[in-house]
Amino acid sequence: MTTRKVRYKKLNIKTPLPVLREHQIDANEYESLTTESQIVTGVEQAEENEYHLQAALKGVGASVDNEIPVPPPQKSVEADYGELYPTPYVEPRNYIKSSDTVEETLKGSLYDMTTDDDDFLRSYNSKRPANAHLSEDNFERIMEVFEDTAAESAPYAEVDNTFVPFELMSPAINHHIREKPVHGHVKAIYEYWRSRRQTTGNKSLHPSLKFETHQEHDDMDPYVCFRRREVRQTRKTRARDVQVADKLKKLRKELEDGRQLVIFAHRREILKRELLKTDKLVYEQRAKLKEAKIKLNIKGDDDDLINTKPQKRPKPEPQQPPRAVSHNQIRLAVRPDGGRSMEPVELTLLRDKQAERQLELLNNIELKVQEHRRWNSNYIDLTADPLPPVKEEQEQNFRPAKTTYLMTPPASASDSMEMDETPAAPEKSVTPFIFQATSLEDSDQEEMPSFRRRVGRLGRLFIDRRPGKLSTGLSSPTRELSSLQSDRWKYDDDDDDDEPPVYKVDTNSLRQMKFRSTIPPPASLLRRPGLDITQLQAANRPVIPPSQAALMQAAQAQAQAKAQALAAQTQGTQAPLVQAAITQQPSTVHPP
Amino acid sequence: MSPSALSGEAAVGPEGPRQKSRATIDTLGVGCIAMVEKNGQARRAEILSIKDTKSGRQFYCNFDNFNKRLDEWVPAKRIDFDQDVEWPNPDKDKQKDSKGKNTTVSKKKVPPSKAQKRPSKREQSVASETVTPHPWPEVSDTQPPSKAPSTPRDLDLKSTGTPTVGGDEMDVDDDDQAPEVKKEMEFSREAEIEKLRTGGSMTQNPTELARIRNISKVQFGQFDLFPWYFSPYPESFTQEDVIFICEFCLSYYGDKKSFTRHRQKCSLQHPPGNEIYRDDYVSFFEIDGRRQRTWCRNLCLLSKMFLDHKTLYYDVDPFLFYVMTQKTEKGHHLVGYFSKEKESADGYNVACILTLPQYQRKGFGRLLIQFSYELSKVEGKLGSPEKPLSDLGLLSYRQYWSENIIDLLLELNDRDEKSSIESISSALAMTTQDVEHTLQALKMQVYHKGEHKLVIPESMILQREKAKMKKKRYISPENIQWKPPVFTASTRTWGW
Repeated sequence: MTTRKVRYKKLNIKTPLPVLREHQIDANEYESLTTESQIVTGVEQAEENEYHLQAALKGVGASVDNEIPVPPPQKSVEADYGELYPTPYVEPRNYIKSSDTVEETLKGSLYDMTTDDDDFLRSYNSKRPANAHLSEDNFERIMEVFEDTAAESAPYAEVDNTFVPFELMSPAINHHIREKPVHGHVKAIYEYWRSRRQTTGNKSLHPSLKFETHQEHDDMDPYVCFRRREVRQTRKTRARDVQVADKLKKLRKELEDGRQLVIFAHRREILKRELLKTDKLVYEQRAKLKEAKIKLNIKGDDDDLINTKPQKRPKPEPQQPPRAVSHNQIRLAVRPDGGRSMEPVELTLLRDKQAERQLELLNNIELKVQEHRRWNSNYIDLTADPLPPVKEEQEQNFRPAKTTYLMTPPASASDSMEMDETPAAPEKSVTPFIFQATSLEDSDQEEMPSFRRRVGRLGRLFIDRRPGKLSTGLSSPTRELSSLQSDRWKYDDDDDDDEPPVYKVDTNSLRQMKFRSTIPPPASLLRRPGLDITQLQAANRPVIPPSQAALMQAAQAQAQAKAQALAAQTQGTQAPLVQAAITQQPSTVHPP
Repeated sequence: MSPSALSGEAAVGPEGPRQKSRATIDTLGVGCIAMVEKNGQARRAEILSIKDTKSGRQFYCNFDNFNKRLDEWVPAKRIDFDQDVEWPNPDKDKQKDSKGKNTTVSKKKVPPSKAQKRPSKREQSVASETVTPHPWPEVSDTQPPSKAPSTPRDLDLKSTGTPTVGGDEMDVDDDDQAPEVKKEMEFSREAEIEKLRTGGSMTQNPTELARIRNISKVQFGQFDLFPWYFSPYPESFTQEDVIFICEFCLSYYGDKKSFTRHRQKCSLQHPPGNEIYRDDYVSFFEIDGRRQRTWCRNLCLLSKMFLDHKTLYYDVDPFLFYVMTQKTEKGHHLVGYFSKEKESADGYNVACILTLPQYQRKGFGRLLIQFSYELSKVEGKLGSPEKPLSDLGLLSYRQYWSENIIDLLLELNDRDEKSSIESISSALAMTTQDVEHTLQALKMQVYHKGEHKLVIPESMILQREKAKMKKKRYISPENIQWKPPVFTASTRTWGW
């Protein structure tokens, strides 16, 4: 090429360059300025000069489209596409997620019978009655077992030409194929399999790729593919040595810690066993002592027959079936067994506390918001994220108000139902105002679950359920009423049998009062419902003014008395039921 | 570029002067260069293999300056026996063919110092055509290499000694000093004939094998594909007239019955991975080579039939495969794919890229390329395809690059803004080299009045406007549901 007159600066990739159209520059100049330089193509050098490529590259500037010729594909003529691919495809609405491998998606055996197999099977079946035919599927299953077993027990069959004997095959067949009728064919198929292996040089029957076997002569073989990659060698440096040493030290420490843990656990379990032995001894001795006492007719001074106070602590532990698990695990294991009815005391307390704290927090926020509102009262806040939220926004999240009406149980009728459908659910983060807005003064309604609908990704609808303020487990009478549970508590603690268990009950709660008022099955059981209920309620209702302890107590007493009187009246028919209700009542709720 | 390229510069066969003389159908052997008719024209062609069929002897020809995919089996009647045939130079062939062929790259890129010492390839071949030196006339006359028909054919059979790459460069230089070579050559020739007599191996040199297409026809879904290149399917498949590949799991069968049985059991209807892109035209699936080893191996074997420079030397573990499909009532049909290293040391965003032949020339390649760059944009990286590119690959990439750069520049021009190479590159997630090369190839980067400028030629503007009328399809980046996968150090080192 001609030598350049102007020497130009090397182009820096960061320099901003003016962008012009061709007509914005003098045409003559432009022609001379364009460089005819060799451009890196990235194509293998030996192929760069290929005729069709050059023709096509020349054509880029011009409008002629020079295509590189390739052997053209054809529509298959003989292929029965619809037959080979019969399954219609249903597109899922969401993007497909799948991780099954090819082998996992195959429905059936991995062995595919060949034309030869087909011929054999046909002639084999033709010699047999129709009911003793071997199906293609079963044939393939048998062949697959043979192939697998052969690959497993004689991996070098190709080289040393060993055939796995039939005796070795049959246990594998028995293991993989359960159907008895199939077993009758196995021997014949084995002979066939063997003959096929013989003709193919004892290679596996399925044509397989060539994998690396011997580095030296493999290297040149173009059929050998998918070699394993050499493990990358990391360079040895001092820094790396230190790093490795640190890692080893850490590993060593962790292992040591683990070992210690096991040792301690072992020691603890041994101690536990000792304890159990002593306990047993004590028990036996006591039994003897008791016998002796009875024999000798010694009365009183029975303290030595029961555990005294200081022994209280270890007592509950041996009650548990002795298991080789740590404390933590025991506690965790109990919970799922016990179910939700056996709500541990700590849990409810924690929840109470959390609820309390949250309420406090919400009140605080509400207070602040009110303050802010007052401060802004005559202004519209149009800042980015206004504290008094724009009205519409509030409405959007509003959900529970309507549902509360729907869900309100008629008077005290469906208390138990309500409890059933509100298991502990995570508190939804609801804006404080809304929470405040829905919570009504009535404590009963506060316990209403609330719902909200929201639209999630891809238009899915969600109904969020907020269980409302959960009542503490123990204060819910319905729960305690269940006979199952009262039974459970019955034998649970034996250490403080001298004093009746104390359950903290908010006697002022409306629920309690309602409950108590229903304890003696009222007139509904005695006479016609409808009228009498109202009568009874008329009698009971006025006695329940919220949050007045003294009055409430009186009401309770009155109700009980009334009920007993009623029960006495109608001993004939309803007596058992009534009695059950009455007798249960003291066992569950102990008035302080 | 160079006009000589278009007029057919000799690129076939080994370098250097060769013996020339007439040949017959029986004497013509592997390594010979003869004039063979192709599309009505006589072209120089190297014979790579010979087979005897019922209809007569056939020769596998690689045509001068034609891509290997146009190689074919040619009956004798298409070979012009009235013209001289260039005989393989046994001495050179022995070295070149056994050592050089598979390492063509290193061989052809001889260090520049070499070029000074001996004539360059081009000069050499020109010389051989014009002067036609006959260094060993008595050899070709008195002892034509045709005494035993098998002799020339099997000349480059013998991979004598293990090849040491680079070690033969000295020999090559020595060869140019004629006198010594002669003796050496005669010696080796005798030795070779001797070996042939005793050894009698009829198999071909393994590296030669890979130059010859081994599968003649593939039935894939609704199409019959005619492979372009060698692919290491089981060796027994070479004998099959047609092999069958399952459209969904890509498993391969030489036997029709096996294939139909397989189809009854195969339940795949889409590539076995997660869909990361979907529009009304195509879908993309991301597939981990480690998890889906069988499927990815099958895909590689399939694509090797259409990619010359793809290597299946190593396993598929370190790659992710992004597979483009089109769905019909039968399922997601494989249209094309590109593979990508999980961790590329050279910043490549594509390792291999292929549109299956039945979908070529429909704009799918551009979609694949665009998708690869969209992924790079998500990653916040600049990407470039791994080299070497194939001829078709180069054209596709050049087109994608120039389209996008011109669109960008036209916008900038409208707004009267300047642009640096770097800002173009970051806007398109292309490497700065690719941007520069494209600008140069389109002759857009000029030096004018003391400064560099980017000038958009009118012809390109016209072309873009015309292309825009065609309503092409593009990837909509907002439909991509993808996070760059993260692989821990242990995954990379140990593979888990």
